[in-house]
Amino acid sequence: MKGDVALKAAYIVTWVIQLSYMGYLWSRFRRLREEQKDLKREVGL
Amino acid sequence: MKLLPKVFIAFTVAALAYAAYQALVVAPTEQTMGNVQRIFYYHVPSAWTAFLLFFVNFLASAVYLWKRNTAADAVAAATAEVGVVFCTVVLITGPIWARPVWGIWWTWDARLTTTLVLWLIYVSYLVLRRYSTGSQTALLAAALSIFGFVDVPIVYMTIRWFRTQHPSPVIGGGSNSGLDPSMWPPLLWNWLAFSMLAIILVAVRYRLQRMEEDVEQQHAQVALRGGTA
Repeated sequence: MKGDVALKAAYIVTWVIQLSYMGYLWSRFRRLREEQKDLKREVGL
Repeated sequence: MKLLPKVFIAFTVAALAYAAYQALVVAPTEQTMGNVQRIFYYHVPSAWTAFLLFFVNFLASAVYLWKRNTAADAVAAATAEVGVVFCTVVLITGPIWARPVWGIWWTWDARLTTTLVLWLIYVSYLVLRRYSTGSQTALLAAALSIFGFVDVPIVYMTIRWFRTQHPSPVIGGGSNSGLDPSMWPPLLWNWLAFSMLAIILVAVRYRLQRMEEDVEQQHAQVALRGGTA
């Protein structure tokens, strides 16, 4: 692997990891919020 | 969303962009390695941030063991997860740098091996938290965290204690070591930016942990009502 290619790969991989983690947190947040709404509805009934 | 988090996120995005500019444009090109050396500005700050997060995890776990404080447990869970993300960046950017410089992706030297062990310890911590269902989960996780943190100073010291393939310390490594003064600003800017990013991720993950606890409690209440009806 050439130096410039390695540099690009390292920076891209770093952001793919960080952004994937942010996406994972966001999906988890949405799922929990839905679950909270369902539970409130269930308790209300 | 309140104003303060919005402002902090805006500053973090600006700091990350400026830090990348510092690393890719402002930092001097290293004489022997060339541009590939610029990986250093992502690799080292990611490692420092991971160490810092594992240290906070250690403190929060100690507080939990002492006070049984659920907020401290949530901080521990959040810092361990975000720490693993940063440690993963370290373990992947390292070999990408090593391939053109050493000619190999990986070697089982003391620094690399102890870093991999560190990652495995905190992944085990997360697996324990995720799949253990007993009431002692937080207690066991806190105990594992206390023992697991022992590896952090070992990782830091390996390049001082042993002759390793990994470069010897350029910071705090004695009279024959040292970083060129022009390399300090890009390094510190990247550490600052990554630390700010880590604060945001930990804050979000902490909130999720508290939400999960709340949902679990509500499930228990619903189940109890169903059982007594």
